[in-house]
Amino acid sequence: MASFERFDDMCDMRLKPKILRNLLSEYIPNEKQPLVNFQSLSKVVSTISTHKLLSEPPSSSADQKKLQSKPSKSAVDDWVERLLALVSSDMPDKCWVGIVLIGVTCRECSSDRFFSLYSVWFNSLLSHIKNPESSRIVRVASCTSISDLLTRLSRFTNTKKEAVSHASKVVLPIIKLLEEESSEALWERIVHLLSTIVILFPAAFHSSYDKVEAVIASKIFSTKTSSNMLKKFAHFLALLPKANKGDAGSWSLMMQKLLISINVHLNNFFQGLEDETVGKKAIQRLAPPGKDSPLPLGGQDGALDDASWNSEQLIVSRVSALMFCSSTMLTSSYKSKLNIPVASLLSLVERVLAVNGSLPRAMSPFMTGIQQELVCAELPTLHSSALELLLATIKCIRSQLLPYAAFVVRLVSSYFSKCSLPELRIKLYSIIKTLLKSMGVGMAMQLANEVVSNASVDLEEFDAVSSKTPSLTSVAVLKSCSKKRKHSANSGAEAENPAVEVGVPHNHSLKIAALEALETLLTTAGALGLDSWRERVDNLLMTTATNACEGRWATAETYHYLPKKSSTDLVELQLAALRALLASLVSPSRVRPAFLAEGLELFQRGKCQAEMKVAEFCAHALMSLEVVIHPRALPLDGLPSLSSQFPQSDSLASQKHNTPGLNKLDRVAGKWLANVDVPCDSGIQRSLDTALPLPETKRLKLGNDLVGSENVQQADVPMKVPESTKESLGHVSDRDDMVSEEGYREVVSETREGEGLAAKDSLMEEAATGKKQESLGESDEDSVPSLKADDYLSSDSDIES
Amino acid sequence: MEETTVIASSSFDCGIGSWDLKTGNEQLRFKQCASPSHGLTAVGEKFLAASQLRNASGSSGSVFFWFWNKPQVEVRSFPVESITALTANSEGTYIVGGGASGDIFIWEVATGKLLKKWHAHYVSVTCLVFSGDDSLLVSGSQDGSVRVWSLIRLFDDQQRQHQERTLYEHKFDEHTMAVNDIVIDYGGCNALIVSASKDQTCKVWSLSQGKLLRSIIFPSKINALALDPGGSVFYAGGGDGNIYIGALNSKSDYATQFLGSVSDPSKAITCLAYCADGNLLISGSEGGVICVWNPRSRQPVRSFTFGHGKGPVNNIQVVRKTIVGNANKAQSSWKRNVSSLPPPLEKYERKGDDTVDGIVIVDPPLSSDVPVYSSYRSADFINEQVKELEQQGSAATEIEMERLKLEYKKSILMNDQWQKNYENLLQVVMEEELNGGSN
Repeated sequence: MASFERFDDMCDMRLKPKILRNLLSEYIPNEKQPLVNFQSLSKVVSTISTHKLLSEPPSSSADQKKLQSKPSKSAVDDWVERLLALVSSDMPDKCWVGIVLIGVTCRECSSDRFFSLYSVWFNSLLSHIKNPESSRIVRVASCTSISDLLTRLSRFTNTKKEAVSHASKVVLPIIKLLEEESSEALWERIVHLLSTIVILFPAAFHSSYDKVEAVIASKIFSTKTSSNMLKKFAHFLALLPKANKGDAGSWSLMMQKLLISINVHLNNFFQGLEDETVGKKAIQRLAPPGKDSPLPLGGQDGALDDASWNSEQLIVSRVSALMFCSSTMLTSSYKSKLNIPVASLLSLVERVLAVNGSLPRAMSPFMTGIQQELVCAELPTLHSSALELLLATIKCIRSQLLPYAAFVVRLVSSYFSKCSLPELRIKLYSIIKTLLKSMGVGMAMQLANEVVSNASVDLEEFDAVSSKTPSLTSVAVLKSCSKKRKHSANSGAEAENPAVEVGVPHNHSLKIAALEALETLLTTAGALGLDSWRERVDNLLMTTATNACEGRWATAETYHYLPKKSSTDLVELQLAALRALLASLVSPSRVRPAFLAEGLELFQRGKCQAEMKVAEFCAHALMSLEVVIHPRALPLDGLPSLSSQFPQSDSLASQKHNTPGLNKLDRVAGKWLANVDVPCDSGIQRSLDTALPLPETKRLKLGNDLVGSENVQQADVPMKVPESTKESLGHVSDRDDMVSEEGYREVVSETREGEGLAAKDSLMEEAATGKKQESLGESDEDSVPSLKADDYLSSDSDIES
Repeated sequence: MEETTVIASSSFDCGIGSWDLKTGNEQLRFKQCASPSHGLTAVGEKFLAASQLRNASGSSGSVFFWFWNKPQVEVRSFPVESITALTANSEGTYIVGGGASGDIFIWEVATGKLLKKWHAHYVSVTCLVFSGDDSLLVSGSQDGSVRVWSLIRLFDDQQRQHQERTLYEHKFDEHTMAVNDIVIDYGGCNALIVSASKDQTCKVWSLSQGKLLRSIIFPSKINALALDPGGSVFYAGGGDGNIYIGALNSKSDYATQFLGSVSDPSKAITCLAYCADGNLLISGSEGGVICVWNPRSRQPVRSFTFGHGKGPVNNIQVVRKTIVGNANKAQSSWKRNVSSLPPPLEKYERKGDDTVDGIVIVDPPLSSDVPVYSSYRSADFINEQVKELEQQGSAATEIEMERLKLEYKKSILMNDQWQKNYENLLQVVMEEELNGGSN
């Protein structure tokens, strides 16, 4: 019967139940029928989400629709029944299919259905987690599906309490599972489920907080945990303080524990490499003697077990995980005020960065060569984590870094001079970018020289590789730079760097980082370097951009044998170089940018490139540069002109300046008129027109008829009319302008014809006095300047005549 | 959602008035405030702070805090000397005060700690302005000097000891009389600073070059400045009751235009503020009238009367506040506010070990009330698992296969070995048995 039905199109509502039933019979196993193949499952899931097969129209819709939707409802009913049957099956594979599809159903089904069924689903999923008999894949799938179920549940606002009680039922069983099982796949899903709960229902951890923390800590300190899982556990641990009522106290406690634990591990790791008092001081600062200090994470001795005494690698990966955890805590958002132990964090970073693997003279007899070798192999990882921690600290406290900013600047610049590994330098550049962005001009004053000298080393070495010229220039640059900086020892060390790094021409990420740092410097403080570093940077960026684009476009084929990443890397480099070049061209300068022509040509050519990202940016750059080529002096709407002035002889200031001001006046006014754009011109013209009647009236009042007619002719050339007259009328609204203008025009035409002088007189008088009265009415002050202007005008016309 | 509020205070005890700029409705009036000019500031979106005139004769000054939702003074602090200028950075994390002796103080809002105090001017500080990125501070003084300070460098004790540089970045001494107001535009590192003075001039300074660009002469002393951020013009409130318009790039030495004046010409304009939202200019006068202007049409749009026209208005600030969604949340945030009153500002800098306890208190982001979402994973999970199953020929399984094959071979060999041993042994035993039997 049904097969004779025809559908309107692919969006027909009646189509949905058909497809769903078809899926159900073809691909989903039932009690008797075994699972055909797993691959079809992803097809089922994608079909469901494309056609929204599980969505149901709300039950309150019109009766007609109810009739239509009736078969669809029963299809979804069938679907749900089948899933429940599968979930309770004995066969693990069928059970697995049922569980994962419940997860999908939680996302897709209508809210009514979800609301009526979620507790049934929840209980059957939970029973699989609790049941020690159930197989591992079933448990893994259950964790994922419960996570999706809770996610959906969190969007219903009216069932908060019930949701929390459901969520809290899951916590202990999965924690138990975490302790007992050793499968990574299961751990991963459990951690994901825990994260979901801590984000959505932090209250669910209320009673089990300490237990959860202890178990996670023990996992982090376990030798069996892989580095991938370490990171995931650390991430969850960072979220955990949200659960303890989300208050600042639990956050601080966790941070303190982490820091103590990190320092305890470092004390062991750095033995023989640093003064022992450093470690003691660090611990003392974290746990002042008078106060109760918390135990370090994971128990009494900070979980320094036998294994960690021996394996450097293990210590470093643990410390890195703990630092990652602290970084996450710093950057994730909290609902309450946080007390950030900035000093401890910064001194920890300083402590780690200070150890570079060299042995202090006094210590050398206590350390064997092989020990030093093991430590040095792991140090870069440790430094990288410490830099991440520094970055997170800066991001977290932003402008409040102020009292510590100078310390951070010193830390960064001294480490910059020591550090030659590209990965670490990239991190340093990103720290510098964050500092510049968050603290602005003041920070740029401190860091500019550091950024410029380091970036030129990193970029010029790239030039040296491409153009095969020795990096003499970079040394010269450094010398010129060291003159400006008082401690030249740093730059001396930097000069050694190129020799170390010249071997890595294919990896552009260091150059990209350097370019980005320069770009940020130019955007925050391009004007500050005008007398010092700016010229060098502009020069450097122009050559870098030219080399990045032209030299490499020609030889791009040489890179083709490399994997795909390398070619995108090149595009990234070109983009970074072009961005920085644009910044250098647009950033404020006193003269026309030296490389404007070259830059424009480069962007013009880049616009025609096949690589869309580059072409897109070049088009944008050309638009930004248009303002540089055609500087705009836009007229201000509503403010007719700015050239009129306020000569007021009774003021203290103009007594001094009045006389020279008079002579300058016309020149200045003329310049303004010559310079302004067309739209502005018309505005001025109109105001000039309105301004004219005033001198007119004055002369006419004097009875000087002849001069009056001359004057009118002169008025046809607005340039010569003194500007100062209009200030007295500037406040008159547009409507008045129009009236007077008309009146005036009439007058002019009459004058030209040379008749009706008497009539003209009266008209002029009317127009002008009317206006004057208005201006008097508006403000008392106005009368003073206008009178002055008259005085001044007569003298001016004397000069002219 | 944001709302724009105008706050104003007076040198008489009229409290602080607040109005919604859009509707013109008067909002809460905060009680007990008589502040000097430039003595009122909003601290981020958190609260209002105003220094008080009452104790000016005595040895110590006083600074009061009000919360946005309560008219009473919440926190009273008493700095060592009377504070003549007060401002806060845009995040509301630091309060900066200029004293009558020329000292400038920086307090941390969260702890109330006096972080730094330095001698900035020879006489009283009249106004303080932060640069756009809050990293520089510009101060003006009664003696006509203007100085630019880099806050980072002020905190850098170590560098200061090594280098014999002056504390300030720039000093501008061209004004002959007291500086009344300072504004700084959005030019970033290339910003222009405009200062207004009693000597009837406004001077435009370049931050990047650190020098005077131009000086503009006005017909009267200028009490207040406001900047049109997009228009390259500034508005100057004169002692003669007029508002003048000046151009930042003006080529002439004289003020250019005239915007309008308040009703009573004998009453000087005392303060100006510009609101970019709607392009409005707000002026306050000695007569106690606050007038909102449309600078384009040069017409007054609206006016508020403050303190029944008794006291002069001497501070106006436009504050943008985020409105918390519903009443319920507003209440909860209010409760939180009350539970965490900011501590009063401390009198003295801490010395010795106590100076840095290394804790910075960070406020939660304003968006923390936004509900959190987590994403669904089941579909991805299925795809992952299916992919894993599909990759049966992957490297890992192949290696495993090879290993198993090898092991199988080894086991077969081993099996053979044992078989042989057994057979040998059996043979020996059989032979022995046979021999024994024969014996």
